[in-house]
Amino acid sequence: MHSTSYVIKFTLVMTIIVAFVLALMVSGLKDIHGENESVYNKKGILSAVSVQLGKDVNAMSNEEVQTIFSKQIEQKVINTKGEELTPEQIKEETDGRSSTAEQLDMAKEGKKADADKLLPVFVFTASDNKKYNIVYTRGKGLWDEIWGYIALESDLNTVAGQAFDHKGETPGLGAEIKDNKAWYGQFTGKKFYNTSGEFTSISVVKGGVKDKTNQVDAISGATITGIGVDEMLERGIKYYEPYFQKLKSKESIN
Amino acid sequence: MAEVKEIIEKKESAFSFGKEEMKLLRDPLNDNNPVTVQILGVCSALAVTTLLTKAIVMGIAVTLVTAFSNLFTSMLREYIPKQIRMIVQLVIIAFLVTVVELALKAFNYPIWKDLSVFIGLIITNCILMGRLEAYAMANKPWRSFLDGIGNGLGYGLILIAVAATRELFGKGSLLDIKIIGPTSEYFLNTNEIWMLSWYTANNLIILSPAAMFIVAILIWIQRSKNRKLIDIS
Amino acid sequence: MGDLINIFVKSAFIENLALSYFLGMCSFLAVSKSVKTAIGLGLAVIFVNALTIPLNWLIDYYLLGEGGLFGMDLTFLRFIIFISTIAALVQLVEMVVEKVSPSLYNSLGIFLPLITVNCAILGASLFMITKEYNFAESVSFGLGGGFGWFLAIVAIAGIREKMAYSNVPAPLRGLGMAFFLTGMMGIAFMGLMGIDPAAFK
Repeated sequence: MHSTSYVIKFTLVMTIIVAFVLALMVSGLKDIHGENESVYNKKGILSAVSVQLGKDVNAMSNEEVQTIFSKQIEQKVINTKGEELTPEQIKEETDGRSSTAEQLDMAKEGKKADADKLLPVFVFTASDNKKYNIVYTRGKGLWDEIWGYIALESDLNTVAGQAFDHKGETPGLGAEIKDNKAWYGQFTGKKFYNTSGEFTSISVVKGGVKDKTNQVDAISGATITGIGVDEMLERGIKYYEPYFQKLKSKESIN
Repeated sequence: MAEVKEIIEKKESAFSFGKEEMKLLRDPLNDNNPVTVQILGVCSALAVTTLLTKAIVMGIAVTLVTAFSNLFTSMLREYIPKQIRMIVQLVIIAFLVTVVELALKAFNYPIWKDLSVFIGLIITNCILMGRLEAYAMANKPWRSFLDGIGNGLGYGLILIAVAATRELFGKGSLLDIKIIGPTSEYFLNTNEIWMLSWYTANNLIILSPAAMFIVAILIWIQRSKNRKLIDIS
Repeated sequence: MGDLINIFVKSAFIENLALSYFLGMCSFLAVSKSVKTAIGLGLAVIFVNALTIPLNWLIDYYLLGEGGLFGMDLTFLRFIIFISTIAALVQLVEMVVEKVSPSLYNSLGIFLPLITVNCAILGASLFMITKEYNFAESVSFGLGGGFGWFLAIVAIAGIREKMAYSNVPAPLRGLGMAFFLTGMMGIAFMGLMGIDPAAFK
């Protein structure tokens, strides 16, 4: 048996050594961690326009992602009334945590009341000078959260590209929303509004698509994830409606 | 003179690698496998085996942590106060796991994201505490280190076997490369022809209960070959 | 309030720590040979889970977080602090229970040290972080998670007791069969996944 004072000394020395080594490691790796995280998020956004980029986003190097993102993407943060916020306003709304759209903590925004929600918009300019609005939506899958970036054509109706992601869906089932190109590829070309301009959203249906303009086939074996995608599109895209209207009226004035 | 010679010999034997040491490495792979025989560390064996890549990374991480926690504990075994033995061991393990996590986050961010809490759960992987208590607290550092590597590999072996089965038959791929069956019903009309293209991936195998069945089948196979392991109770 | 019941039901049944995440399997398989010991361990898990998760939440929020006491991001110490809290609390609980109620100590006592390395406890603490619960939610999650684990181990122990009368192939006896049973039980619990917890509001 060791004496109590020895135990205390041992504990103190051990705690100091452990905390010191870890603190050293964390501060040493901080930049790499930050860079990794930002590249990971940017890859998620750029995946929505991978067809327009003509490249596999996941195979890009970190520098490539950073340059494309800074050159071809314009970031905006809007509220649910469709008004664009200045960086100062964003800082104020998020308690100084973020000043750009990519830094928004979307899990937190999702919990806010509708009127206080901030929404990110990424305007992507393709090499042929066409502009695409990338919007964001978040919902619940079977296990945990799922989210998606939807790139819209200039008519703000037709889907030009999409990328879904998830926190913990089952590989081969729910995770197919991210992995299976054939599944998420179905969204391209679908429309959120019908011919008379009403919001119909794009629904995920089981047992065969009936309406080719706004329905996609569900993944077999992943019913709940499919329902989650359906729900988050219907709710999430609606938040952007005022913004779309403002954009459209601006265009008609010009 | 004689004394000096003895010391030199002792020093050599501290890092020798003979039959005994080989046994330390080989035993955990079969006769004394941590997962199928000692039932240690099952929890993470099930959660991370949906994809082979995850299982390999997890196997490496656990091997590193077992090896080094065994080494450090064995080096400190005479200094660790008996009263707070458990907490000291846990702190050593938690420290190493944090180091592994930070390193993984720096080197492969997507895998780190995928494994999420399961890296942290290495701490409560019973293999670690089990080996520290049963081996490292009573043996010399070099041997404890080998024992740690052996047990980590034994665990990794089962992990890889389970993950390979699950990914191949549940998703039709290995290491994310398509091997058998159509990728999904949406690919039926493409020209890509895969091995066994009539095979439809079995959804059940990718779900977590199937990992239980696969481990059970591994135990069944192992015990019918190695009859001395059969549970007589 | 509805949200809290929602989280309780979800963590006890739908996202059962034992049967859908398969956490705490080491002690789960080792101790589920008889219903009596299973109840003892199950109760101990409820107890420790319900205490450690809110406690870890407080520590994470007031000490480690950026807005905490030290004013810097110390989250890299999470693993070490969480496991130490659990180990210390388990030891404390053991001492208190021994003094206050020797009869409870006799039935729970031997299981308490086992709980420190039960991944269900640390796992639940880490899930509480990734799911971004607030304090009240973490209390409900701790109770629900422990209760779900209790239910699972008692159910499996009941089946395993009955298995003693069955003619199981020799290599599968004991451990092998326990794995099969747990897997099947897991599939049964998956049937609960479609339930919308909002219905319990």
